[in-house]
Amino acid sequence: MAPPVAPATPPDDALDGDAERPRPRGLAADTGQLLIEGVRAFRGLFDVALRTVYWSLKGRREKGVVLEQAFEIGNKSVFFLTVTQGFIGMILVFQSGLQARRVVPDLTMLGATFLELLVRDLAATLASMMLATRVGAGIAAEIGSMVVTEQVDALRMCGVDPVDWLVVPRFLASVVMTGVLIFYAGAIAYFAGGATAWAVFDVQPQTYLNARLLDIGDVSIGLAKCVAYGAAIPIVSGWCGLSARGGSEGVGIATTQAVVFSSLAVIILNLVISGVGFVLFPV
Amino acid sequence: MPPRRVIELRGITKRFVDGPPVLRGVDLTVPRGCLYGLVGPGAAGKSVLLKLVVGLLRPDAGALLIEGEDITGLDELRLHRVRARIGMLFQNNALFDHMTVGENIAFPLRRAGVTDAAALAERVADRLRMVSLPGFEDRMPAGLSGGQKKRIGVARATALKADIVLYDEPAAGLDPVTSQKIFDTLRAEQREAGATVVMVSSDIERLLTITDRVGMLHRGRLIFDGTTAEALASRDPRVDQFVHGKTDGPL
Repeated sequence: MAPPVAPATPPDDALDGDAERPRPRGLAADTGQLLIEGVRAFRGLFDVALRTVYWSLKGRREKGVVLEQAFEIGNKSVFFLTVTQGFIGMILVFQSGLQARRVVPDLTMLGATFLELLVRDLAATLASMMLATRVGAGIAAEIGSMVVTEQVDALRMCGVDPVDWLVVPRFLASVVMTGVLIFYAGAIAYFAGGATAWAVFDVQPQTYLNARLLDIGDVSIGLAKCVAYGAAIPIVSGWCGLSARGGSEGVGIATTQAVVFSSLAVIILNLVISGVGFVLFPV
Repeated sequence: MPPRRVIELRGITKRFVDGPPVLRGVDLTVPRGCLYGLVGPGAAGKSVLLKLVVGLLRPDAGALLIEGEDITGLDELRLHRVRARIGMLFQNNALFDHMTVGENIAFPLRRAGVTDAAALAERVADRLRMVSLPGFEDRMPAGLSGGQKKRIGVARATALKADIVLYDEPAAGLDPVTSQKIFDTLRAEQREAGATVVMVSSDIERLLTITDRVGMLHRGRLIFDGTTAEALASRDPRVDQFVHGKTDGPL
């Protein structure tokens, strides 16, 4: 077999001497590259978080911008959360009741246990996971499309920090509205669960509506989660949007990443806050 | 006395992740009050070069000087101060979707501290007349044609009357008459204000009627830098082919 013939005239790039040449890569190089990209991404996220806090304290908002975002994040999520949290409440009480009945014949503490679980963990975490999909995707898609159409560059040309202009109003609105929505979603889940307990297990409302197990620790942990999740979702999603590259494909990738990373952030924060909460307020 | 060299690039190299270098050691100087035409085939690095000049992108190597000040390593906050002296038209116009045309044009002025509503309205109306779109203040960008968006972009880029203005394809998508009008208007404004302008355009024929100097980028290298007359008379086959729009040649 004849050896391949070299081209008579080398291409321009080859003449330049600094052209890209395919380099052999191994597992170590790939792992190293992955690590570098991971560190770079984390630095980017940290930078967005820092700038968000800085501009939240120092920046000046245009009239109505935060309210507009509060409407987008809060009011427009009400239907979605009502449906999902209602069903989740029903399913959880139904499954818990079935399991509990195998061990103890008495279901009088079903409502009290469910309420404690909701306040301490489930209301905040489940509602925030839902918000991460609806709100997170929306934020990343909106900011990402502004990046790929150079609108973010145009903002920077006018002396505007895109984090101040695009992320901070969503952050402020989210911190407030996520708390409100979690309270609302928790109530929906609790009452839907109560209806299930009454219909399936014959647990009377006056028995179900029992807050005896609830203490200051549960409320503190629940509130901490409300604030943490409300802050994390717009920061992570904003960072994903600002990292969008290319065209519509880049926006799609940023949107997917926003949902994945926001959900991941909620889970990680849940673990951290629950761990700290367990130490501070043991059950 | 202000420095004569307004924009200066020294050995600028830029590459994006996993790609070949977009710019390779580019040295370029734009003197004060000059209308500099930057030309070259597609993907030659022209738009990247404009973004480097205003710090929207950072070079991998080399130095960038604006009016003698090295801006290569400046942080975003200090770059804001530099950008306040520069107007820019983006290739994709970059009009803010959620703002009306009037708000788009007024935005750089408001950010520069102009708060008087009457002055803002007057300036917006003046810019809209300049691009032959009077009365478009309340329209939304989504309802405009490509050419109209481009003209609104030009109006916004010139709203500040900046000392330095960068235009990335100011006539793309415009009909020949409007295109010529825009070129003539921008030239007249540049002369009147004494601004330093860098203009990237694929409409070579019209561009060369208004430029003082021309630079040609090819595969990330500045292969020509000289007066418009020198460009038209260049013996470099690549420059000759490009500026005269010949189909036969090395490009």
